Amino acid sequence: MIRVVDFRKAIIAGVASAAAMEVVLRGFAFAGVPLLDLAREMGLAAVSHGHIVGVFAGFAAHAFVGVMWALFYAYFLWSRLKLPPPLQGLVFAVIPAVIALFIFYPQLTLMQRDEDEVHVRIAMLIGTIGVREVAGIVLSQAVYGLVLGSLYRKPVGYPVGDRPRIPRRKVQPKRRDGKRPTGCGFMFSTGIECSYPTIEHGHWRRDELDSCRHYEWWPEDFELAREIGVTHLRYGPPLHLVFEGPGKYDWSLIDQPMADLERYGPEPIVDLCHFGLPDWLGNFQNEDMVKALPEYAGAFAERYPWVRFYTPVNEMYVCARKSTLDGQWNEQERSQKAFVNAVFNLAGASVGMTDAILKRRQDAIFVNSESSEFSQPCCPDPEVQRIAELVNEQRFLALDLIYAHNMSDGMRGYLRENGVTDEMLSHFSHREVPRRSILGLDYYEWNEHLIDRHGNALSLGELFGWYTIAMQYYRRYQMTMMHTETNRSDASKASQWLWRQWHNIQLAQKNGVPIVGFTWYSLTDQIDWSIGMAEPLGIVFPVGLFDLNRDPREVGLSYRHLIDMYRDEPDFRECQALKELMH
Amino acid sequence: MATFLSIHGYTPGPTQRPLLAGSISGIAATVPALPILYGFGALRVESSILHLSLWETLIAGWVVMAIAGAIYARLFGRAANNIHGGWVFGMGFGFVLWAAGADMILPLISGGEAPAGPAALGVALSMLVWGTAVGVLIPFVQKPLHEKLQTASKSSSVGPNAAASQNHPNSGKRGA
Repeated sequence: MIRVVDFRKAIIAGVASAAAMEVVLRGFAFAGVPLLDLAREMGLAAVSHGHIVGVFAGFAAHAFVGVMWALFYAYFLWSRLKLPPPLQGLVFAVIPAVIALFIFYPQLTLMQRDEDEVHVRIAMLIGTIGVREVAGIVLSQAVYGLVLGSLYRKPVGYPVGDRPRIPRRKVQPKRRDGKRPTGCGFMFSTGIECSYPTIEHGHWRRDELDSCRHYEWWPEDFELAREIGVTHLRYGPPLHLVFEGPGKYDWSLIDQPMADLERYGPEPIVDLCHFGLPDWLGNFQNEDMVKALPEYAGAFAERYPWVRFYTPVNEMYVCARKSTLDGQWNEQERSQKAFVNAVFNLAGASVGMTDAILKRRQDAIFVNSESSEFSQPCCPDPEVQRIAELVNEQRFLALDLIYAHNMSDGMRGYLRENGVTDEMLSHFSHREVPRRSILGLDYYEWNEHLIDRHGNALSLGELFGWYTIAMQYYRRYQMTMMHTETNRSDASKASQWLWRQWHNIQLAQKNGVPIVGFTWYSLTDQIDWSIGMAEPLGIVFPVGLFDLNRDPREVGLSYRHLIDMYRDEPDFRECQALKELMH
Repeated sequence: MATFLSIHGYTPGPTQRPLLAGSISGIAATVPALPILYGFGALRVESSILHLSLWETLIAGWVVMAIAGAIYARLFGRAANNIHGGWVFGMGFGFVLWAAGADMILPLISGGEAPAGPAALGVALSMLVWGTAVGVLIPFVQKPLHEKLQTASKSSSVGPNAAASQNHPNSGKRGA
């Protein structure tokens, strides 16, 4: 798939743009300046002169052609140019204008002849094009492009307050006989991309489950996960749609998928909060979330008591950074104070959710997934060194809070500067961390940064690799670990990346680090992650085990190969580190 | 271009058989296009221009459409398998074929003769219908032609060697 296209918007834009063209041309004709009108010419090609059927046939054909061009625009040109949308449409209109002028109109004149066969010469075809024709086509196509560009926008997501349109399923796919027992084996995992932050200052909801068509395709998605052979699935029900208000839940959206996972697998690692909040909670500056989310987690654990693996809040550091330092999601702030506030709210919610789940299920296992990051100063400049040090401390902040880890004096000073009191810190530092906790570390090619002379973070690519970065986290927390997310944006190198990440896992295991699982994220391609989901463009990010048609990618075959190769090896069939957590 | 398509994940998947799926769809898509060609008298005009019998024109048409279908499937790669958008791409491809065929190829091979009147309209409509049908058919035709995940995943090309840089001068046998 090239782009996610909103067909409804494209059709409306196409018809409206064709109508606008017609209005302008009629206006000129009314003013005594008749220009070439392709709608009228098409009607003449179909039906004899002046017949009313011909006029309507012409309009209908013109509207249809308008829709087709709009769909082409939506697939191939929309968002490719860094121009305001109406100008994007105007640039696009050059293509239909040239085709109309040099191919379509000359052919129309042939179609209007009263003979079956002609001897054509270039001069004969070009000879049909005069000033009236050029002016009519250029003007009308410019109007078409401007209107189309103005109307076709935001093909993915929906206004905050709305719900996505979910097509009713007609056919249920075949199922395997039952859930494959997972026991204490190594967790070979993938995930369903489910991010749902808001953008445009809280007015527009991104919903990856909707954009990737998981609401429509979930039975196929689960079946594909089983076909790949994964034992676990990172799965995030849409918090913003399920949690409608205090004590109010709409489980209808997820009851069926959850029942399917319970019966057939893979074992879900349920992700309760993934980069966004329900509309009524607003954003991560709202401290009401610290009480609200544990209520949701408790209700979830009561409704689905068979679920054992949870990620209370996904990637707290990334969520806070994108929302408060990068200014891209949710509150879209750019301040250290907002960052600290968001981290404390996220960590507070995570702790509360963990406790709420433990009340319902004492043997629950918590996979605290976080982005593993590292920043390297570019030079000995003290200011650059200070920034790199701060960023390298910030990456640990949320984990330090939920794992009750001591902080450096520098970090304590930074927190005090940004409004944190000793009382707030002691709330976390006196916490007893649940025994069944797994530190999940995500790693992508952009997780290692170079802090340049201006204090900007540039991507270093894979400089040290997951192993080196993960060891920094392991030495700090001494927790059982899992590689909880990875992928590669260059689809042609994804298989290579998968195996290289796997070798990182093997090296860590060899060096005595208790690692219980590995995850390729995600099952399908994602939308707009190439721009951090900052704008609703609908660009396909080809990182899935399957594309959005649900056809396998090469990396899907590689992952199946890897799982088949290792699943029954003694160290993986029974993973000692996981066994210790499970019992 | 090939590298661009590969990086952005448009190239057909390793389990897919785009040329076969495209050829089959290209031939099948002539079924709805033929009545239009016949009804507008375009088939008769084309066979007259090409100096072929009706049957010879039909057979030549099937061969050309099979090739065109294969080219379409290979060119559009994974996008051709899109149930929602396939028909749009197919119709676009049909339009391009018509534009190229009617404007250049047919007059070139016939010494300048081209259909006109209703026959010309029939050719244009039939190509649009053919393209749409190819676009609609390929997502459904290609699925059963897939190699199974179970067998395709056993290929050494997707195995552990994928981790290494290929053809490095220091590659070679170690140990023993």
